[in-house]
Amino acid sequence: MTGDDAGNDGGVPNGAMLTRFANAVLGDDPGELSAARTAIAETMGGAALTDTAGVAALFNAIDRVADSTGIPLEDEKAAATDSWRGAIGIDDFAAAAEKGSGA
Amino acid sequence: MTEISYQDLPWPVRDDVAAAQVRTWERLGQPGTWLTGAERLAVAAEARNAQDCKLCAARKEALSPEAVQGEHDHLGQLSPLEVEQIHRIRTDPGRLSRSWFQGLVDQGMVEERYVETVGVIANMVAIDTFTKGLGLDPWPLPAPQPGEPTRLRPVAASRELAWVHTLPPAGAIGTVDEDLYAGRPTAAHIYQAMSLVPASVKGFFDLVVAQYLPPQAMRDFDNEYRAINHAQIELVAGRISALNQCVY
Repeated sequence: MTGDDAGNDGGVPNGAMLTRFANAVLGDDPGELSAARTAIAETMGGAALTDTAGVAALFNAIDRVADSTGIPLEDEKAAATDSWRGAIGIDDFAAAAEKGSGA
Repeated sequence: MTEISYQDLPWPVRDDVAAAQVRTWERLGQPGTWLTGAERLAVAAEARNAQDCKLCAARKEALSPEAVQGEHDHLGQLSPLEVEQIHRIRTDPGRLSRSWFQGLVDQGMVEERYVETVGVIANMVAIDTFTKGLGLDPWPLPAPQPGEPTRLRPVAASRELAWVHTLPPAGAIGTVDEDLYAGRPTAAHIYQAMSLVPASVKGFFDLVVAQYLPPQAMRDFDNEYRAINHAQIELVAGRISALNQCVY
């Protein structure tokens, strides 16, 4: 999820397709975004495409709320994820020391 | 009056999503708690403009954003402090820091206006990213509505949880802001993040419920509420947050 793992579905049905869309919607290649959009619409249906766009867009926004207000991760979430946050690279993010499990 | 409508798309957009976005657009031009309608629209326009800012692009490429100095490409409607806030939050949120925030406050940033501005940016990003994802142009901004901000600050706000002051759920009980948490003594930190301006929380979570999930559905793994399932939703959400380097 945190790495450059194009083509990996993460064990989720159509995961690679959804990840491709997430990458493309934050990127600056209109052709790639169009292709990612078409792939979801043709494989999963139009409603899946618009719901995917809704989730991607919402989290692009909510990340900014979290990062600009400086809220820390809840203690119980930090404890529950402590064993794998480092392994998948989250603890290497720029703000990890201030807001993450090490906060 | 801008009309948000997805009727002409080849794919179906749920009615509740379109309705939440219409409500957000209506609120955008209205006076808020600390910003006038015109100021809220100036923030919205600057959030869009930030994506073409050369200074922000150079900072994004730098090892540290503070290593690159210069002037933002801005629309000339807001103060330099507000432009810096909007551009950094829009273009490089993963590297915001407490020292950056405190620097803005030390230079005179009004914290309540900062928080309301965060809410406007979040609304813009949620809707503009949605239209981009579906291959549409951004919606034209609405017209500003007259009136003055209410300037109502929660009496129990404190700086204990985050960089900004927040209203603790327990502290809201018995106050005019009790409805923010529906009387519950606890709430997720993300829900508390903008609680210095309760209207910003309510407005943004109107979009959260529609574009993501209602609270009761988030952990209801026995039922699916969208055209993509819980695992697919969380994969998309997680990937976006990873790309943004969001620790939360």
